[in-house]
Amino acid sequence: MKKERSKKHRALQLARVAVQAAVFSLFLVLLFGTHFAGKDYIGNVEVFFHFDPLLALAAGLAARAFLPAFVLAAITLLATLLLGRVFCGWICPLGAVHQFFSWLFKKTKWLRPRKTATGGLYWKYLVLAFVLVGAVFTVDLVGIFDPFSFLYRTVVTSVLPAFGQGLALLTGFLYSLHLNGLGDKLAQTVETMTINGTFAGGFIIGAIFFGLVLLNIVRERFWCRYVCPLGAFLGLAGRWNVFKLRVDEAKCIKCNLCTLHCETQADPWPAEKWKSSECVYCETCAAICPTAAIAFPAKAGAEKVPAVDLSRRKLLLTSTAAFLAVPFFRISPASKRASERLIRPPGALPEPQFLRRCVKCGECMKACPTNALQPAIGQAGPEGLWTPVLTPKIGYCEYYCSLCSQVCPTGAIKELTIPEKVNVRIGTAWINKNRCLPYFLGRPCIVCEEHCPTSPKAIKFVMVETKRPDGTIATQKAPVIDLDLCIGCGICENKCPVMDDPAIYVTSVGEQRSETNRLLLPGLSVGAPPEIKK
Amino acid sequence: MDRRAFMKDMALGGLAAGLAPKILAAAPQGGAGPDLAFAQGESPAAITKAAIEALGGMGKFVAKGDAVMIKPNIGWDRTPELAACTNPEVVKALVEMCLAAGAKKVTVMDNTTNQAQRCYARSGIAAAAKEAGADVPFVNPRRIKKMSIKGEWLKDWDVIQDFVEVDKLINVPIAKHHSLCRLTLGLKNWLGAIGDPRNQLHQDLDRAMVDLAAFFKPTLTVMDAYRILVRNGPQGGRPSDTKLTKTVVAGRDYVAVESVGASFFDIAPAELVYIKLAAARGLGRMDWEKLRVEKRTV
Repeated sequence: MKKERSKKHRALQLARVAVQAAVFSLFLVLLFGTHFAGKDYIGNVEVFFHFDPLLALAAGLAARAFLPAFVLAAITLLATLLLGRVFCGWICPLGAVHQFFSWLFKKTKWLRPRKTATGGLYWKYLVLAFVLVGAVFTVDLVGIFDPFSFLYRTVVTSVLPAFGQGLALLTGFLYSLHLNGLGDKLAQTVETMTINGTFAGGFIIGAIFFGLVLLNIVRERFWCRYVCPLGAFLGLAGRWNVFKLRVDEAKCIKCNLCTLHCETQADPWPAEKWKSSECVYCETCAAICPTAAIAFPAKAGAEKVPAVDLSRRKLLLTSTAAFLAVPFFRISPASKRASERLIRPPGALPEPQFLRRCVKCGECMKACPTNALQPAIGQAGPEGLWTPVLTPKIGYCEYYCSLCSQVCPTGAIKELTIPEKVNVRIGTAWINKNRCLPYFLGRPCIVCEEHCPTSPKAIKFVMVETKRPDGTIATQKAPVIDLDLCIGCGICENKCPVMDDPAIYVTSVGEQRSETNRLLLPGLSVGAPPEIKK
Repeated sequence: MDRRAFMKDMALGGLAAGLAPKILAAAPQGGAGPDLAFAQGESPAAITKAAIEALGGMGKFVAKGDAVMIKPNIGWDRTPELAACTNPEVVKALVEMCLAAGAKKVTVMDNTTNQAQRCYARSGIAAAAKEAGADVPFVNPRRIKKMSIKGEWLKDWDVIQDFVEVDKLINVPIAKHHSLCRLTLGLKNWLGAIGDPRNQLHQDLDRAMVDLAAFFKPTLTVMDAYRILVRNGPQGGRPSDTKLTKTVVAGRDYVAVESVGASFFDIAPAELVYIKLAAARGLGRMDWEKLRVEKRTV
């Protein structure tokens, strides 16, 4: 028999790689485009999230709301119903990353599949069940596992900061070589890109990601095979798709090469064992087959073989486990009483609703011009892991900016216009008179007052007498907060010259999204109380 | 002296500290023309040009082949009608005049307080200056170096090298209210040419401003008083915080220009500690009325 590989499927395979590269580039273009570039309103840079049916389902379910922007997910779903998991194989940028590293590890011979991989596929269905059952009981865990959220969050909070440091090193290197012109150019480019370089726990987020990348040494596309709940979801949806694998028995030499190199353990050979819910239509098997025996002809109708090796018992057990796990995610002091350092971005929904919707994707953290939004570690409880927290010591809320609210894919941060945003109160500033220079030393400062962005200013000054250490008295302008005007933006804390523990700081009290975490009841003012006539 | 040669000097002996101010001080002194020029009118660009022409034209300050740095106030994320940053048309007119006078390169730069991209864009200054042919780079942290300020109080501080590695330096502040030092004019503008933690200078802001002005020694100061900020300074926030005074003041003597700036707020120069300090140190004259003043209306 003539041994010849299929040119057509090799071409399809290359087309797939090209599409993956293009989509990944688009992902990066949108990601790098998510910053202030001269305009108050940014385009629809978060749009790719809206193609994700799992996010739509889980976040919508947890929030008990229909998220209109996610109608685009219907396209993905429809495509999957018709064509199977082409989304995983051709579109998904995280899939592309894992695919790339799998390829790399095979090329370097770190990964040498020698025998047919078996078992384990059900894990991702369990992850899916866990996420969905959580959502039914209003705990939004989808963001931790969803591939878009996972990738975006990782790139923003760990890859980009590392990239930024690399560029800074490179700039320094250029200067050390006296290539000053190039150094200047690179420095300006970096500045224009607005790379936020500081993220709490960015190291851990990066470590999880690279751990999963390294698992591709164990099995090709490890994440896609065993973990990804979106892959599981699309696998279930795509079982009845029209393109079915066919092995030409006359040509097949039973070499098992296709099954050995199948990216997702879909077992193309023997054909009756092929799992269409695992197949991502990457075309590897058809292209690698030495006798061009494999093809994917259109063939309507349901599949004969049970596609998911998932026992009802496992599914039931996971769902029960998820149900039992839900209360554990709610064990947090933050649910008892507002957390003072849990300052949410302007437009954030009230905390319980916010937690149900936020998918921890990091879009807001990328858009923030001052790097103020940080992934929460413990502040918001276990279910609030990696949700955005404004951290004034790192950055402050830029007065005329509402980018975070514009790029939030789920509306956990309600979209605000600039005139709406400048009136949103996210917290209240406090003065630590024990550390504030005019108060405790009698030295001039009031940097906070200078930076306060409201007009009239929420930080005013009063003349204060201070006893110096030598007993003499200094009279100095000292800051006071006008609660009627303070919006909690945090620029005062950010710019306070007392570096380690700023003498002025913002806490969440007074945030207008909460009906309980407040100071003065409506109708009361901070001025002198009205005189009572005798 | 070109920049590359200058950089070499720095690399070789760290001479930069003493050198830069000397270069600037060596600029030719004014002839028989006026010491100060006021121009009033409807167009910020036209009055800027008129004020410089009254002083004898940009050619008196900028020589052919000079590298010029124009230092406006781009400190805040505020649009021009809020008068928190220098009027972009004033900056643009100056860039055009410098290039027309034969400047090899004109740079416009400031170390902003709010996010740099926002300040550069929304102040309108970056676009205006670029349109006129200037370079408008962001502050490059690699180009900030500790220098000897040799001030009475400030001995050394981080200085952005772009402001010292030039032949001519033009200060273009806007006249504004400020809670701590009452007014922020030209001297305070130098806080935008240095590195952090500059906020700590508020502990003795008056002396810091004078030391920095003496260090930077601008060739020319052009004060934008087209729209001044009269309250809630130095940022304002509402158009009602501003006042249209439609004037530009220019002069070589930056203490004199500063003193004129105070008059827009009906404050006598001697009432401002930093003006008094600067005059006492002989950096310039606060009795500006005794100088040759030319007023033009456009």
